[in-house]
Amino acid sequence: MIGVGKAKQYANVLDKPLSRGRQEVSLSAFAFLFSELVQYNQTQVDNIAELERRLEDAGYAVGARVLELLCHREKGNRRETRLLGILSFIHSTVWKVLFGKVADSLEKGTEHEDEYMISEKELLVNRFISVPKDMGAFNCGAFVAGIVRGVLENAGFPAVVTAHFVPIEGQQRPRTTILIKFAEEVLQREARFG
Amino acid sequence: MPPATGPKSGDALFASVDRVNAELFTLTYGAIVRQLLTDLEEVEEVNKQLDQMGYNIGTRLVDEFLAKSNVSRCVDFKETADVIAKLGFKMFLGVTATVTNWDAEGTSCSFVLEDNPLVDFVELPDTCQGLQYCNVLSGVIRGALEMVSMKTEVTWVRDMLRGDDAYEMRVKLTKQVPEEYPYKDDD
Amino acid sequence: MASAAIYSLFIINKSGGLIYYKDYGSAGRTDTNDSLRLASLWHSMHAISQQLSPTPGCEGIDLLQAHNFDLHCFQSLTGTKFFAVCETGAQNIEILLKVIYELYTDFVLKNPFYEMEMPIRCELFDLNLAQIIQKDRVALLGR
Repeated sequence: MIGVGKAKQYANVLDKPLSRGRQEVSLSAFAFLFSELVQYNQTQVDNIAELERRLEDAGYAVGARVLELLCHREKGNRRETRLLGILSFIHSTVWKVLFGKVADSLEKGTEHEDEYMISEKELLVNRFISVPKDMGAFNCGAFVAGIVRGVLENAGFPAVVTAHFVPIEGQQRPRTTILIKFAEEVLQREARFG
Repeated sequence: MPPATGPKSGDALFASVDRVNAELFTLTYGAIVRQLLTDLEEVEEVNKQLDQMGYNIGTRLVDEFLAKSNVSRCVDFKETADVIAKLGFKMFLGVTATVTNWDAEGTSCSFVLEDNPLVDFVELPDTCQGLQYCNVLSGVIRGALEMVSMKTEVTWVRDMLRGDDAYEMRVKLTKQVPEEYPYKDDD
Repeated sequence: MASAAIYSLFIINKSGGLIYYKDYGSAGRTDTNDSLRLASLWHSMHAISQQLSPTPGCEGIDLLQAHNFDLHCFQSLTGTKFFAVCETGAQNIEILLKVIYELYTDFVLKNPFYEMEMPIRCELFDLNLAQIIQKDRVALLGR
């Protein structure tokens, strides 16, 4: 046990009241930290696919914790069990808490039954980032895809989640779409629920 | 002290910048520390890397601070320390630091933080007792000051994660490059 | 481009290297080599002006006036210089250069793919700069 025998306000982090989540830091502080996360991970990889995977892993850790935190704080320890429920929880509650706004859109894929898309005109993590041409379609939104996967998987909805730039007509900058492809077992379970 | 046209107050500064939920920041930092522990294994290496990452951030962040706070050149290290404590911490983290424990020469002092957004939800596990969790902050200070020609050493002397009653970092000015002719030696 | 009273914009790193150059329709005189050389010369002149100063604390040339153009220079405390070559009597250029400095801190320094002191190739910096350089925007800065 840490802190034993020393004066400390709380002996254990669990004894502290859970924050209400109203504290803020500057967007810049986050942006510089996120930039450093990307730069560090660039030194650890040989190719862009690995960089995506590592950013996604970092995001996953955030997503898993966000789920815990929000289920406790916002939903009285209840957790979504239905597919549309968990998607709307991510699109609304999670997005609002993490990024200060509800996501721009949540849509069902038109070609595949198991695909859903959350889109954002300007993803917060990409606000200041210009991806060099030689990195092709790489999107730092991989981190956010990881957050989404972390929430989904820990809520019992395993899925493959990826981030993509999608051009918008008449706009200079593409939007980012987070593509969610649910595991087969998830859809089977949904079907049984009816 | 700053000139008449000078900087905004810390609160006004923080109110004027875009802000995000501190939890996004805290959890992202946690994810970085976790990655480093996995990649580097040795706690000592993680401490070094966190300090290096902070340094990198500091070298970039200092320009934003100067551009948006309107502070002008500080006359000495004392004034610089005050500006960092009252405006720097506030502008980026929304918290204020106290400057204390000046030595007689005026070249080393302490920043004391009572509130530290990096550490919400954090408890050091037994395997990481040597982890300097907040090393990124000391790195930022060192990096930022180096960009305005002040070489410093920054070390943690109190850490609430280790049972202390506050966060305290000691900043020691080791070398101040004269401002007048910065090109003399290199050109 | 619907541009401004500004002919060209330079950003020079603290060692005198040109990291950004943008021409806004000045008869296309300066090629890459020329602009690199000019940047380096300006860097030296700026340093010389500090040494020429009869009183201490001079921070170098802020404004150079010629009969057919003005050159405004802003140097950050970290040593990066932003300078603009403008029409004579162009207004609000000091403020414009500070706004460009802010854009630089946002869209260059927060970009993980930008390497410090290296040439700036950041799409978002270009886009935001293009917006702010437009003449009407520059006029608004003075209000």
